Amino acid sequence: MNPVVGLAAFAAVSLATAVIGFYGLRVSRTTGDFYVASRTVKPWWNASAIGGEYLSAASFLGVAGLILLSGTDALWYPVGYTAGYLMLLLFVAAPLRRSGAYTIPDFTEARLDSRAVRRVTSLVVVLVGWLYIVPQLHGAALAIRITTGLPAWVGPVAVVGVVCITVVVGGMRSITFVQAFQYWLKLTALAVPIVFLLFALGGGESAAAAPAANPTALAPAGPYQIISLLVALLFGTLGLPHVLVRFYTNPDGQSARRTTLIVLGLLSAFYLFPTAYGMLGRMFAPDLAQSGQADALVLLLPGRMIGGMAGDLLTALVVAGAFAAFLSTTSGLVVSLAGVISQDVFGGSVRGFRLAALISAIVPLGIASMTESLALAGSVGLVFAFTASTICPVLLLGIWWRGLTDAGAIAGMATGGVLCGSAMVAGSVLGAAQSPSWLAQPAAWTVPAAFAVTVLVSRATRGRVPRTMTRVMTRLHTPERPLATER
Amino acid sequence: MTRVRVTAPRSLTSGSPTPDGAALAGGRPAAAAHEAAEESDAGQLFVRSLIRSQLRLGLVVGLGFLLILLAFPLMLGLVPGLADSTIAGLPFDWVLLGAGIYPVIGLSAWLYVRTATRNEARYRDLAGDK
Repeated sequence: MNPVVGLAAFAAVSLATAVIGFYGLRVSRTTGDFYVASRTVKPWWNASAIGGEYLSAASFLGVAGLILLSGTDALWYPVGYTAGYLMLLLFVAAPLRRSGAYTIPDFTEARLDSRAVRRVTSLVVVLVGWLYIVPQLHGAALAIRITTGLPAWVGPVAVVGVVCITVVVGGMRSITFVQAFQYWLKLTALAVPIVFLLFALGGGESAAAAPAANPTALAPAGPYQIISLLVALLFGTLGLPHVLVRFYTNPDGQSARRTTLIVLGLLSAFYLFPTAYGMLGRMFAPDLAQSGQADALVLLLPGRMIGGMAGDLLTALVVAGAFAAFLSTTSGLVVSLAGVISQDVFGGSVRGFRLAALISAIVPLGIASMTESLALAGSVGLVFAFTASTICPVLLLGIWWRGLTDAGAIAGMATGGVLCGSAMVAGSVLGAAQSPSWLAQPAAWTVPAAFAVTVLVSRATRGRVPRTMTRVMTRLHTPERPLATER
Repeated sequence: MTRVRVTAPRSLTSGSPTPDGAALAGGRPAAAAHEAAEESDAGQLFVRSLIRSQLRLGLVVGLGFLLILLAFPLMLGLVPGLADSTIAGLPFDWVLLGAGIYPVIGLSAWLYVRTATRNEARYRDLAGDK
């Protein structure tokens, strides 16, 4: 492959990100601008931004790679990623917006009237964010190595560099524009090459295997694995810090719902394309699965099937889309982590936010450089399982159940975190091939365990239900005053 | 945007360093009256019934969606020959899981948003919050 193509694509995406970020700089002034874009972003912008932020390396590269490896079993990943937003809409979107808090720790502290809960939640949120940034950086390493031939570490370092510059300079308002742009870039980057690929297919090449053919001879997933994966993805989305912080940029609860509805449409449209790539990969590039390069399928397929100048241009487009994915998810996570860290450690100033942004980006860079890349969609799936076992129970019970107490919340987060965390560690020590399915997909038992502990401990400490509970519940669920809703 | 000072009883996040936007309509005299109305016994009755109906709605839509989702693999497993049939040259199970589920998600979401908005409108009428 022509190394100039990959470098040019990366440079173009970084430049566009920086320019849009700089444009946003002129309108972000106050601390509020830095965190949540003053809550005046329109639903379409906001929905595109949520889509842009959510569609990470796992969606852009990982889903197609996993479909190449395991066929229809992998189709549950995009379904779960999308359906997670349905759960978010049903149980979280409007109440969370109405809570008026900026971050998840803000929410739990306000709901449970407890500094201790705030600290534990902050710890979990930062952990989740770091775990989620690592696969993005692995994706960047893979993309740089495959498309330019440069050493793999260049990719993560470049991504972290660009993210730090845009976040530190512009804050959340500029990030909103950047993310919205990157959703549409990612969609174009997958859709245009697919059109060309289908034309190329129509032109003759029919000597391909059916997509049902299995290039890896992996055993099909059993019902336990599918159910556990769905539990992780459906309930994990609820607790992702970079997703939740976006809901505060809606002007009110109803527009938060409208935004989520648009997001569901955007995600459904997007996921048709990785599925198509995976299917074409099974038919025309099964050797990538055998050589352990499945995650690079999206990057390599256009050049392989079309070739020449046209192939180079299409490859540049997918490489640009891939870097948009790494950049947007990483910057979204860095913004939300920086929001949490700066409020808890640096007292919420703009200078503290910038310092916290640097910390939130550089730690995962260290972790990524010390670890090996697993299948991208799989490692992100584990982060969803962790979120579903820690933040999800506190959030859902906090919004819908009056009996939640601070002791219950802390016990539940600790239980879910320890169970799911040790399953993840044990699974990676044993290796993907040796670990039994209950370790590889822990959500089906860790999530119910976390819910059960939260409820039981809350029941046992009934006296600790905060006095502010009635007022907070009223505020979470009642529609805003007409002043806020009539626009 | 003008910044409105959030007074203690209105603020959900009292004590935390989070400035709040004007969207919450603090500072208007009517807000205090509404606040009092919501904290009365009758007001709380309406609030509780709103929360219950929104929760019930979420659960019904969520469970309905999950049932449809589970019906897909069951259908493929139980109806002989279905998994091997094709639509426009593509295997049926790929089309079903790869594209067929998304309209179901969209439809569930749309139904939910419509009904949830209606529940809130009914609450506004009951609470006299015009």
